Amino acid sequence: MKSIGHKFFNVYSDKKNNLFTLNLTPGKSFFAEKLVRDSGKEFREWDANRSKLAAAIKKKISQIGIRKGSVVLYLGASHGYTPSFISDIVGSSGFIFCLDFAPRVVRDLVFVCEERSNMAPMLESANHPQDYASVVGQVDVVYMDIAQREQTKIFVKNIETFLKKDGFGLLALKARSVDVTKKPKIVFKQVYQELENTKGISVVDYRELAPYELDHAFFVVKKK
Amino acid sequence: MRDYKKLRQKLLINTKHKLKASVNTDQLIIQATSTIEELDKAINVLAVKFREWYELYNPELSHSVKDHKKFVELALVDSSKSVMGAKLEKLDLQVLLSFAKNIDELFVKREKIVLYAEKKISKLMPNASIVGKPLIVAKLLVHAGSLERLALLPASTIQLFGAEKALFRHLHTKAKPPKHGLILQHPLLASAKRADRGRVARALADKLAIAFKIDFFGGDFIGDKLLKDLEEKFL
Repeated sequence: MKSIGHKFFNVYSDKKNNLFTLNLTPGKSFFAEKLVRDSGKEFREWDANRSKLAAAIKKKISQIGIRKGSVVLYLGASHGYTPSFISDIVGSSGFIFCLDFAPRVVRDLVFVCEERSNMAPMLESANHPQDYASVVGQVDVVYMDIAQREQTKIFVKNIETFLKKDGFGLLALKARSVDVTKKPKIVFKQVYQELENTKGISVVDYRELAPYELDHAFFVVKKK
Repeated sequence: MRDYKKLRQKLLINTKHKLKASVNTDQLIIQATSTIEELDKAINVLAVKFREWYELYNPELSHSVKDHKKFVELALVDSSKSVMGAKLEKLDLQVLLSFAKNIDELFVKREKIVLYAEKKISKLMPNASIVGKPLIVAKLLVHAGSLERLALLPASTIQLFGAEKALFRHLHTKAKPPKHGLILQHPLLASAKRADRGRVARALADKLAIAFKIDFFGGDFIGDKLLKDLEEKFL
């Protein structure tokens, strides 16, 4: 088990290049992921086909901005697959607000959050930041993965409300929900421009996620 | 430094309460309806399997009764002599018939759920369940996810619910646009001539859209009037 670089805290890879994180809750696996023991530590396998963040790391994104102790606002937490790995990365000194607006998936999410001391579930819509602004406050990282037409606008809105100066915003973009009739490449370009033209943030890195996730792109932005 | 431990406890409790409050009639109907659809598939698979098995014993009965439900019922009480079928030992027949009993019970269970669902649907959507049939309306509800969404959708979208594959094929290529989706199961539309189906589908979806809006936002009951309009036009 080898660390994959100092910019990726608690993220490791094995000889076959599969990603792993240091398990915060040893002995427990939440999504039937493989647990591997190596030199006295336990690691959870992180499937790039299921997590867009893992796919972005596999595609050699330069940094993700999530560190040990980071406070993360996760929009579109769903069942909690990716959040559980971010929870491993930030460790017990960090914290994640896991937000989703579909009761069906939050039901599963609650069970994951109950087992992990640094995750909290919230049943809110990312499109209405004012509803949860007083609870969340300021955070180090805003992560968004919601398949909505207006996802770039919602992303910018949340960054402006919650992100600290020098904090990172991560956006997993699904081209097909922005506009099904347009070619994904064109949608990616438009979103890139839209983010670049937004005052106060700059795009740090960008990756297309094929072959792990078709028609998806991953953006990393930094607040100035 | 904020007290995240306390905050987490508060959010966990808060979210659980919100989840509890989020359950509504829509979801009960959706679960019942999709269970009916799933049962239909399962019963069909089991009934076909049962026929294969039973034909070793009495192929004539299986051949003469095409309807699965009737066939299973008859097989349970059958005492006719079969010429082609083998004479089975008591044990062989026992296992076979107890399997038939299970399938028969599934049919009964399905009917019970249908009755329950129809009652619920007529209560939640009195107008729409008169215009469309209750189970068709329920299928539209399953597709949309909630009555609120159904009420806010344009008629053209309701018309094409369930025909997404054909719709996107049309948008991407030069393929012909679909004329109807799920609402094809409606008797008015199913009995219409092929050439008329586009028009009937459009009119039916229009009336359904109106009905959903009344059912969600409230208003006088005009379901029978909406249906009469349609029938006068197309019957």
